[in-house]
Formats: sequence, structure tokens, C-alpha cells
Amino acid sequence: MRRKRRLWYVILASALLLVVITFTPLILHPGKIGPKLFSLPFTLWTSMLITIALVVLTYLASKAQDND
Amino acid sequence: MLTWLLIVGSIYISILFFLSWRSRRMIRSNSDFLLAGSNIGLILGFMTFAATLFSTFTLMGMPDFSRTHGIGAWIFLAFSDGGMVFLIVWFGYKLRKTVSVKGFNGMSGLLQDCYRNRWAGYIYFAGVFIFLIPYVAIQIRGVAIFLVQAFPDALPTWGWSMIIVVVMLMYSELGGLKAIIYADFMQGTLLLVVVWIIALTCMNALGGWTEMFRSVEEVNPELLSTPGPQGLFNSQFLIASFLAILMIPVTQPQLSTRLVIMKDTKSMYRMAVAVGTFAMLVIFPTLIIGLYGALRYPDASVADFLGRVLLHDQTGLIGSAAIIGLFAAAMSTSDSQLFALGNELRGLISRKESDSLLPIRIAIISFAFAALIFSLLSSDQLVLLARISFAGTAMLGPLVILGIFAKKPQGSFMIVISGLGLLVFVLSQVDVLPGMAGPVRMDLLLMIILTACAIANYVIRGSSPEL
Repeated sequence: MRRKRRLWYVILASALLLVVITFTPLILHPGKIGPKLFSLPFTLWTSMLITIALVVLTYLASKAQDND
Repeated sequence: MLTWLLIVGSIYISILFFLSWRSRRMIRSNSDFLLAGSNIGLILGFMTFAATLFSTFTLMGMPDFSRTHGIGAWIFLAFSDGGMVFLIVWFGYKLRKTVSVKGFNGMSGLLQDCYRNRWAGYIYFAGVFIFLIPYVAIQIRGVAIFLVQAFPDALPTWGWSMIIVVVMLMYSELGGLKAIIYADFMQGTLLLVVVWIIALTCMNALGGWTEMFRSVEEVNPELLSTPGPQGLFNSQFLIASFLAILMIPVTQPQLSTRLVIMKDTKSMYRMAVAVGTFAMLVIFPTLIIGLYGALRYPDASVADFLGRVLLHDQTGLIGSAAIIGLFAAAMSTSDSQLFALGNELRGLISRKESDSLLPIRIAIISFAFAALIFSLLSSDQLVLLARISFAGTAMLGPLVILGIFAKKPQGSFMIVISGLGLLVFVLSQVDVLPGMAGPVRMDLLLMIILTACAIANYVIRGSSPEL
């Protein structure tokens, strides 16, 4: 139970970190198109990866959260 | 095109009314009618949540948004939806736990119970009424202006709007929430298939993936980074939008109801993951369609661009499916919202399970006609109007979360401050108050203040003995 709680806080902190990073110039960089990934511009592919990571964290959070 | 539309449309309407009739046979109580028996499994739950969340503004608004403002549209919606599904795991669990103790007749009734103050429910209902009716209205308007574009000599905008409202009311009043959920399943599938077919057609027309991005970089490179050509997607706009979208399942009753009626918590968790995946799958093709529009129709009006990209550049079958898909998307969001408003009213006036639903049914019809009238008056900026709706209801987020999470009633401070927050937001939208408070957007500032107030309220009252 305690381990589950700790896991939940780690997942929550990771999700918050991803959200904060997204709104910094690391991702929102005016005029920055490269480096590209499969022709996708920088902001798009990085934010897509972050979105996928958030959905994966949602799955992990569902495992760490209590059920009915 | 017309032949295809008649074929696809007839199949769609027939399935819709068959599902409605089938659901009607299963209705045994008011709860069955309004809450679908509160026993929805993973697949139906996921599709109804997704179809309710993704409306006409996804298929019409998002392509136009990315055509005008570029790839930041992904962060605006898909990334925000990623955050939203994460929140569902946390909020949904607490909500279901509270409901298992207090019961559920809508969020208004639940808040009245949590705060032990009737005004908590009134403020909540006022907020969702003010911001959901315009949201329903833009769904109706979005499809109506598209249909006028498709068939300029057939009917005026109000005529199409009227048809949408009447069909929507007929099947939802007949079969209740279960019918809406079955219809959502069909509509969600249709939306996903149609949006991908159109996106692939657009991409092929541009010579493929790499060529598409190369052409955009050549013609308008600002579309490939934030804040976009018009500077809309700056950090403040994206943060405020993120918070507003994050709060959708908390504050919009059509979605919080769907968290409550899931069969069990495990199904709700899985549903959240599925919705996050669906969001990415449905939003990415709208970017492709938008970039296609930026290359082919950069200066066209919204209606003209959508008419060309969704109809004239497609085959008859796909164009017809797009029309029906839009019709379906508008209805799946609107009927859920109107129904949820009806259920909220029921909770607010404390009607018992055995009471007649006639007043609620009449209220739903009245809400629909209020939305119809608003749809004739609203503007064509679908995404920005939808965003105002999200931000408006988000003002209620701290009030709802505090009520649900606190173990004891939290007094009247948050009720008063949330009412004031709503008022200030409304006044800032009608230009009575400025949209910016110094360098900060008013909606963002209000969200921060209300959140701080909720935390302070919890710290002060949460640990004090129950009065």
C-alpha cells in the first residue's frame, strides 16, 4: 500500500514535470523548426512525444491508484 | 454527391432511431433514462466520453485553427487532453468515492450536499448554463453553415439548425442517455474514420508527408513553430487553455456524469487511457488538413475553406460521410450537454426517483431552443468560442474539487468567490472589464486566484472541527 502511494507520487511528479517543460522555451521556442524528426518540426514532435508520455503515465497512474 | 448523401444519411438516421428504440425498451426507471442505469463498460464508456468531448470543433474548428495558427494547435488540444486524462484518474476516483456515499443526481445536487449550502448548486448550474448553451449553439451553427456551403440553394442556416435540433431532441427524448451513448459509439467511430480518410487524401494531394512539411516551410515557416503567424499560441494562451481543458471532466456535467456511470473504477481508468489515445489519433489528422488548407486555401474564409477541403476536394462518398460525420459530431456533443443540463436541473430541484420526468424533459427542450436561438446569433470562430466555454466552466473547477475532496463542508467563502470569478470572467468577455490584468490574461489570473482561494480555504477549514 505504501509502495503504491510512493509510486503514485513519483508518477504525479513526472506528469507535472512534463507539463512544466512543455511551457518553457525548451519546447515553445519561437521560430525554431529544427532538429526535425521524420520531417516533423521540433515543437510538434517533442510535444507529441510528451503527450504520448502523459498517456503512458495515465496508464501507470491507474495501476498505482486504488480501485473501488 | 446528393445520391451518396441520401444513402449514407438514411443509413445513419435509421441506425440512430433503431438504437433509440432499443434503448427505450430497456428503460425501467428515471435513473435508467437519465443515467443509463449507471453500468457502462469500457468500450461504450470510452466511445461516449470521446464522442462527447470531440465535437464539430474538432473536425471543423481544428483544421481551420492549424491552417491559421500552425502546429501549436497540437499543444493547445492534444497535449491538454493528455493532461486531462491524467486528471481523470485522480479526480474520477475521488468523485466516485464521494458519490458512493452521497449518491448522484447531477453535480449541482452533489455540491449542495458536499457544501451543505444550496447556493453551491445554484452557482454551479448558473456557470454551466451560461457557458454550455453557447457551446451547444456553436455545434449547431458549425454544421449549419457547412450545410449551407454544401447545398447553397436548399435551406437557410436557421432551417438546417432547426433540423439538427429536432432530430437530436427526438432520439434523445425517446431513448434517454443510453440511446445517446449508443449513438456516441457510432458517431465517434465515424468521426475517426472520416477525419483520417480526408487527411490522407489531403496529404496525397500534396505529394506525401515530407513534401507537405517542406512546402509549408517554404510558404509560411511560422506555421511550423509557436506562437504561429498571428502570435496566438504564446505561453500564456497555451497555459490558460491547458488549465481550462484540464478542468473539463471536473466542471462540465456531461463528462463528470460519464465518470460516475462507469461500471467500476477500473473501467474508468482504462477509459481515460483510451480517450488519451483517441485524442491523439483524432487531432493529428486535423493538423494535416489544416496544413493542406494553409497551402491550398490560405486566404479563404472559414466556410469556404471547410467546404473545399471537406467536400469539393473529396469523392462523393467521402464528402457525404464528412457531412454525416459533422452532423453526428455536433449531435453527440450537444445532446449530451443538453441532457446533462436536464439532469443538473433535476438534482437542483431535488426531484425524487419516483417523480415524473416531464418537467425535466420540457427543460431539455427549452435548453435546446435557447441554444438554437443563440446559434443564429453567434460568430463563426468555433474554436475560440469553444475555448471561452471551457475557460468559463473552468472557473468552477476549484469549487468542485474542494467540495468533492474535503471530508467536511467547506463554508460559503468558495461559493461567493467562485460566483464573483464567474461574473468577472463574463464581464471581461463582453469588454466591460479588460481581457488582460496588466501583463496577465484575465482567465489565467482568475484560475490562479480561485485555486489559491480553494487551497487556503481547505487549509483553514479542512482541519477545523465540523460545525
